[in-house]
Amino acid sequence: MSYDRCVRCGSCMRFCPLFEAREEEQWTPRAKTYLLQVMDMIEADEELGKEFRRLLFQCAMCGRCEEVCSSDVDLLEIWHEQRAKARKEAPREFQYLDALRRAIANVKNIYGLDPEDRAVFWMDEIEDDVPDIEERVYAPGKRAEVMVFLGCLMSFRASQLDVVRALFKSLERTGTDYLVMGAEEFCCGHPLHLMGDDEGAEELRTHNKSVIEDAGAKYVITCCPGCLIQLRQYHNIQNAEVLHHTQFFDRVLDNPPKYRSETEYPYHDPCELHRISGVKKEPRSLMTKLGVNFREMDLSCCGGGGLLRMTDPDLSEKIMEVRKRKERLESETVLTCCPSCREQFLAAGIDTKDIVEILDEAFEQEELKE
Amino acid sequence: MRLRDVVIGANASIFYRLDFSKIKDVFYPHTEEEAEQAIRFARERSLRITVKGGGSGLSGACTGGNDERIVISTLWLNKILRIDPQGGYIDVQPGLTPDLINEALKPYGMKFYVAPSSRDVATVGGILSTDGGGNDTWVNGTMRDNTLRVRMILYDGRKITVTREGVESEDEELAEELNRLRVTLDDVASSHGTLGFVTELRLQIRPLSEESVVGGVAHFDDATQLGQAIHRMIEARSPIKYGEAIVAAHPDVREDLRPPLITLQFPGDYADDLREILDIELLPDEQVDRMKDIRIKLPKRNPKQGIQLALFEGYGLHGRSLLNMQATVDAINELLESHRYTPFAKYGHAPSKWYLGDNTAAYGMVMHSREIRPEHTTREEVLNTILDIVDLCEKLGVTPKPEHKWPFSDTVKLNRLREIRRVVGGGFNDFLLRDDYREVLRSMV
Ligand SMILES: Cc1cc2nc3c(=O)[nH]c(=O)nc-3n(C[C@H](O)[C@H](O)[C@H](O)COP(=O)(O)OP(=O)(O)OC[C@H]3O[C@@H](n4cnc5c(N)ncnc54)[C@H](O)[C@@H]3O)c2cc1C
Repeated sequence: MSYDRCVRCGSCMRFCPLFEAREEEQWTPRAKTYLLQVMDMIEADEELGKEFRRLLFQCAMCGRCEEVCSSDVDLLEIWHEQRAKARKEAPREFQYLDALRRAIANVKNIYGLDPEDRAVFWMDEIEDDVPDIEERVYAPGKRAEVMVFLGCLMSFRASQLDVVRALFKSLERTGTDYLVMGAEEFCCGHPLHLMGDDEGAEELRTHNKSVIEDAGAKYVITCCPGCLIQLRQYHNIQNAEVLHHTQFFDRVLDNPPKYRSETEYPYHDPCELHRISGVKKEPRSLMTKLGVNFREMDLSCCGGGGLLRMTDPDLSEKIMEVRKRKERLESETVLTCCPSCREQFLAAGIDTKDIVEILDEAFEQEELKE
Repeated sequence: MRLRDVVIGANASIFYRLDFSKIKDVFYPHTEEEAEQAIRFARERSLRITVKGGGSGLSGACTGGNDERIVISTLWLNKILRIDPQGGYIDVQPGLTPDLINEALKPYGMKFYVAPSSRDVATVGGILSTDGGGNDTWVNGTMRDNTLRVRMILYDGRKITVTREGVESEDEELAEELNRLRVTLDDVASSHGTLGFVTELRLQIRPLSEESVVGGVAHFDDATQLGQAIHRMIEARSPIKYGEAIVAAHPDVREDLRPPLITLQFPGDYADDLREILDIELLPDEQVDRMKDIRIKLPKRNPKQGIQLALFEGYGLHGRSLLNMQATVDAINELLESHRYTPFAKYGHAPSKWYLGDNTAAYGMVMHSREIRPEHTTREEVLNTILDIVDLCEKLGVTPKPEHKWPFSDTVKLNRLREIRRVVGGGFNDFLLRDDYREVLRSMV
C-alpha cells in the first residue's frame, strides 16, 4: 500500500493549507497517512471511522503534500482512492453530494440548469463584441482547428463573463479557426473524479471526446485547470492536443501588444494548473511578453479545490481568509487563470483578473493608440 | 476518543502504534499562558505530560509512551519574540524550525547555525531536547552550543530560566537547589522532554558567512579508508563547512553515486591542505548541490520493492570504531541480516561532533542507517533487533549518540536526569525514566 511508504517525517505539515486554517495535526497529510497506517487499531470505533471519512473530504487536493514528499508517496492518488472507498463504505454520509451527482447525470452540468443554456447565458452578453459568435457554436458537421471547452463555471457564472468575453475577443483577434462546444459540452467529470466516482464520469468523457473528434479539432483549449486535467488525462482524445488558454496564446503570440499599466499584480498560480498539470512556464511567459508587472504569490491553494467549497464551505473560506491576511491582499487585484480560483478570490472580496483579460486590454490599448 | 487524540501519535520513529485511549487531551497553545493552562489541566487530573514538536524525533520520546497523559503540541508556539543582531541573539518560541528562523534572519544578514536534515520540520524545542545538529556541527556545534538560555515551566507550574551558567527563578529556594546541583543548559540538552516545558529560547545568531567555499567529493575503496580520512580531518582540525559521507546506498536510490564517498565544502584556500588528507575532486557548485540533495533525501526515500525504516539512528563512530569503519559496518550489517533486514543506506554527518552523557564532546561520524524491513516480523523481533544493536555498539565502541536517538542506553545521562527530577519533580515524559520502558516501546513498534 502506497501510504505505507510514508515515513511520517512531517515535511508536508506546514505547507498544508488545511493545517494553516485549522491549526491541528489531524488536518495534515501526515496525520491522514498515519491514520491509514494504524487503521487496524481504530476501525472498530464507528465514530472515528465517520470522522475519518469526513476528514478525507476536507482537503483541497492541491497536491502540495505530494510535491514536497521525498518518500515517493502518491498522496493525491491515495486521497482519491480513499474518497471512493469512503463513499462506498458509508453512502448515507455523502448524501449531500447526491444533488450534484444527479445534476451532472441528468443535465450534464454542475448547476442543474438546462443543458441548452450552456451557450446562451454568455452569448447575448458578448454578441456586440463578437458578432459572429453564434456561428462559432458547434453543431454536427461543423469543423474547426480549435475547439473551446468552456467548462461549467465559465458557461454559467455571471462572474466569469468578462473572462469569456476576453477569451473570444482574443481568439478573433488572433485569427483562430475555432468552435465552442455549446450545448454539446458535457461537464468534464472533474467533480465526480474528485469524489472518487470515475465510473460516473465515463459517459461524460465519451460524449465530449466524440464531439471533439467529430469536429476534427487539432487543439482543445480550456480556461479551467480542472477541465484541463480531465480532458488531458482521462478523455483519451485522439489527434488533438489539449491546452490551457494561456498555453495557446503564448504559443500563437510571439509579440503581443504591450500592456500599459503601472499596477503591480500579485500572480496566483492555480494548483491544478502548475502542480497537477505541470503548466508553469506559459502563463508567466505570456505575462512577460505582454510586459505585465507581476509578482509571484506563495504557491499555495486558494481553498477552492477538491470540492471543498461544497464539502466544507467554512473551511474553504477560512483558507482564503488566512491567505488574504498573510499575503495582504485586501486592496490588490490578483491575477490568475482559473475560474474556480477567481470565484474564491471574489468571494473574499478580492478583485481578480484572468490573464486573458489583460491580453484583451492590451489589444484594446493598441487599437486606441492607432 | 477523537481523531485529534489519535493523530497526535504521528511521528517519524518506529514507535507509533500507541494505545490511543491513554491520550486524555491534546493542546495547541499559542502563548505561554495557554501552555500554563494546559499544564494546570494535567496537574489537576494527575495526568502525565508529553510535549511534541515536529514529531520528527526518532526515539519515540514525543509519544509519551503508555502513560495516561495529555500531549501539548508546540506547532503554534511559533513566534519570533525579538531579534537583536548586535547582541547576537534571537528570542523565539519553541515551535519554530531552523528554516523559519533563518528566513526571518535573512534581512538582518544573520543566521542561526543549527541545520539538521529535518530543519524544515524539527522545532528548536525538540532539537534542544535531543541536542540535534546537522552536517556542520563540526564547525558550528550542536544545538546546546547555539543556545544561550531557555525558559521552562515545570509540572507544578513554577518557572525557571536556565543558562550556560546556571538557573534563575522567582522561587529562590528552587534556584538555589538547582544551582547546588550545577544545573545548566547541558542538562536541558537531550533531556527528551523529561524536565519541563521549554516555552522560550534565546538562540545565538551570527553574521551570514561571506566566506566563499568550494566543494568536492572523495571516493574510497572501503569504509575503513573513509573512516581514517575523517579521523585525519578531525586531527588536523580541518575547516570543513559541510561534510556528509555516504558509506553505502541501495542501487534504487544511489543514482550515479559511488559510495563510500564524502562530500565536503571548505574555504577555497584550504584545498591544497585537504589534498594532503584525502583525494578530493573539486566539483562545480551545481554538482555539489545535487549530491547534497540526494543525501538529504536518503532518509525519506524508499526502495522499489519493500519499505525502509530506521531501526536505530545515530551510530556515533569515533576512536577505534571510526578507524576500523569497514569492520564496524560489516558487523552491523551482519547483525541486521541475521534478523532478516536488508541494509538500505548508511550515511551521515562527518566530520561531526556530539556530546556524551557526561557532557564531554565526541568527534567522528554520526552514521544513520536505514534498512528494508522483512515482509513479516513481530514487534518482539523488531525490538530485539534494536536491543541487539545497542549491545553490539557497546562492543564495537560505537557510542550511539545516545541521548539523541536512544535515550535509554546512557546511564550517566539517565542518572543525571533522575537527580534533577528529584528537585523539579516528575510529570513530563516519565516513561523514559522507568525500568519498564522496553516493554512500553515493544508495545508501540
Ligand atoms: C528525515 C529526518 C532527518 C533527520 N535528520 C536529523 C539530523 O540531521 N540531525 C539530527 O540531530 N536529527 C535529525 N533527525 C531527527 C529529528 O529531526 C530530531 O531529533 C529533532 O530534534 C526532533 O525535533 P522535533 O521538533 O521533531 O521534536 P519531537 O520529535 O516532537 O520531540 C523530540 C523530543 O523533544 C521533546 N520536546 C519537543 N519540544 C519540546 C519543548 N518545547 N519542551 C520540552 N520538550 C520538548 C519531546 O517531548 C521529545 O522528547 C531527523 C529526522 C528525520 C525524520
